[in-house]
Amino acid sequence: MAKGYRARGVRQGGWGRTGLAAVVSVAYFFPVLWIILTAFKTHNDALATPPKFLFHPTIENFIAVFRRSYIKGFEAVDTGFALFFFNSIFVSASSVVIALAIGTLAAYGFSRFPLRGNDTYLFIILTTRMLPPIVVIIPIFLMFRVAGLSGGYAGVMLLYTAFNLPFAIWMMKSFFDELSGDVEDAARVDGSSETRVFSRVALPQVRAGLAATAVFGLILTWNEFLFALLLTGVGTRTVPVAMAQTIGGDIGVRWGLLAAIETLFLVPVIVVSFLLQHQLLRGVTFGTIKR
Amino acid sequence: MSDLLVSGAVKRFGDVEALRGVDLEVGAGEFFCVLGPSGAGKTTLLRAVAGLERLDAGTIRSGGRDLTHAPVQGRGIGMIFQTFALYPHLTVHDNLAYPLREARLDPAQIERRVGEVAELLRIGHTLRRRPATLSGGEQQRVAIGRAIIRRSKLLLLDEPLTNLDAKLRHDTRVEFKRLHRELRMTMLYATPDQLEALTMAERIGVLREGRIVQVGTPRDLYQAPGDSFVAALVGAPRMNLLPAVLANGGRAVALPFLEVDGGPWATALGRFPAGTELWFGIRPHDLAPTVDAQAGPRFRATVHLTEPLGDVTVLDLTVGGTVFKMVLPEERAVRYRVGDEVPVGFAVANTHVFSRQTGTAIR
Ligand SMILES: Nc1ncnc2c1ncn2[C@@H]1O[C@H](COP(=O)(O)OP(=O)(O)OP(=O)(O)O)[C@@H](O)[C@H]1O
Ligand SMILES: [Mg+2]
Repeated sequence: MAKGYRARGVRQGGWGRTGLAAVVSVAYFFPVLWIILTAFKTHNDALATPPKFLFHPTIENFIAVFRRSYIKGFEAVDTGFALFFFNSIFVSASSVVIALAIGTLAAYGFSRFPLRGNDTYLFIILTTRMLPPIVVIIPIFLMFRVAGLSGGYAGVMLLYTAFNLPFAIWMMKSFFDELSGDVEDAARVDGSSETRVFSRVALPQVRAGLAATAVFGLILTWNEFLFALLLTGVGTRTVPVAMAQTIGGDIGVRWGLLAAIETLFLVPVIVVSFLLQHQLLRGVTFGTIKR
Repeated sequence: MSDLLVSGAVKRFGDVEALRGVDLEVGAGEFFCVLGPSGAGKTTLLRAVAGLERLDAGTIRSGGRDLTHAPVQGRGIGMIFQTFALYPHLTVHDNLAYPLREARLDPAQIERRVGEVAELLRIGHTLRRRPATLSGGEQQRVAIGRAIIRRSKLLLLDEPLTNLDAKLRHDTRVEFKRLHRELRMTMLYATPDQLEALTMAERIGVLREGRIVQVGTPRDLYQAPGDSFVAALVGAPRMNLLPAVLANGGRAVALPFLEVDGGPWATALGRFPAGTELWFGIRPHDLAPTVDAQAGPRFRATVHLTEPLGDVTVLDLTVGGTVFKMVLPEERAVRYRVGDEVPVGFAVANTHVFSRQTGTAIR
């Protein structure tokens, strides 16, 4: 399928425009490429001016992500990054899964069984995302402290779920709205209960939407820093927070180390996007490209 | 024995009254057409029978059961939607199997029935494909297959031919008649197309703005339309309806260019006062150029436009300010050019008269 799009692209756009698109893409991708290259450089290569494109790659930075000595000459110790990666994956994945589960059900309800004042509810749901996080951070921090939710997994997961929910509801509702109501009615006539109409007929038709919503939610959660900084404890720290703490190191910033963390940090996002790319392509175009 | 009985069905959507007291009785195994223009309430009526819409008043009975408040799942009715409404995420095979799986039939039996239906409808070669990869005609047949696979007694069809091209429509009309004969199902078929209704139905109910205005065989509706609405709806080209008044002491119908009397309506007209405004109706097929010694009314008209349709030609004629149509076999029509004068005659027995005030037929 993706192949089809690409082939058509070149044919219709011609090589000139395709080339232009390639140049623009490279320009966008360049910072990412730069980070990946830096991750494989020694400290001196990383700081060299003019920047080096040809160098002897090393994986010492990647080892240092997980084990290094904090003071020169001392024994290398565990940095805890394995745990931080686990935390990031665990917290993002579970909050996205929960938000998607609740959001999909809510979206189906909003789309198929509208309430009196349906749009008002939808708008109110969206307003929770209208304030910049910095505005609400202090009350949220206090609330979570009082409720005993700060420091543990439950707190961040709850918050991230709440963050992903409005987005999930709105996205999924737009996908459900696209579906033909007749198809679900046909299932009712064919003997399906409401639960089965949802699970056997409506849900399978919005798989692409689910994938797109999941990826967007994951990226949003994966990169979140501010709330993670305030609400996670030592054991539940996520990678963005740990990364920030790595910058303020001993002597100057270890760019190679930082780049190595970022490179590792990118891997899950790329893997997930790759796995879901076919669905995603349909999902992000909101069904404007048919099958 | 009736298989479906709808009485006093009322359905409102906010301010819109889609059904305003529909009464309908469909016999077991009958092919019944609901004929009506767009917005008449055909879809609403079928959806109510299926259980997809809840009536505001009235009852629905079928197979001896009161279905008025029965949930849609338990009604055991097959339905073909105007949009086909196939499950896009399932293969043709799974589309056909869906109703049986929901009914928890055992897999071997499901396979057998899917095979039978696929053969009956000649879609065996498409079983592994998704609906989106099928042609319109194939999608249509899958929709039929899915609706009949449970062998329910009653099948609802909502404009099933609207989304097909002309050739396919003709073939599928034949197909529906064959299916009806072979499956012996009661069919309730909604269509805005009089030709479909006339060619397929055993009986037709004409739906107008949420009311059934006439029920009858295709012949009844064609030969004795109950009002000017039905007269104009059934038959193509449509019946000429010319404004006229009651004259000559209530015995003759006066057109601007002709007085007609002695028709099947003559006695009934006696009840009306002279000067009553009427529609005078005559089908384009019932008009013809007069040959010398022919009896019956005649007048001279001018050819205004010719519309050759191959085997027949439709001639638009004018006389005075009145425009009307006449249909002639091609070989008789070639003689006439635009601007020619034609002597036109007709048999009084083929004429209709309607009250202009109420639209009702007078006979
Ligand atoms: N869900 C609905 N909400 C509001 N009005 C509706 C709804 N469904 C139907 N109507 C209205 O009810 C009337 C009858 O509609 P219906 O769809 O039954 O007509 P129809 O005879 O099937 O027409 P068509 O030939 O165009 O399909 C129309 O005025 C329509 O606008
Ligand atoms: Mg309709």
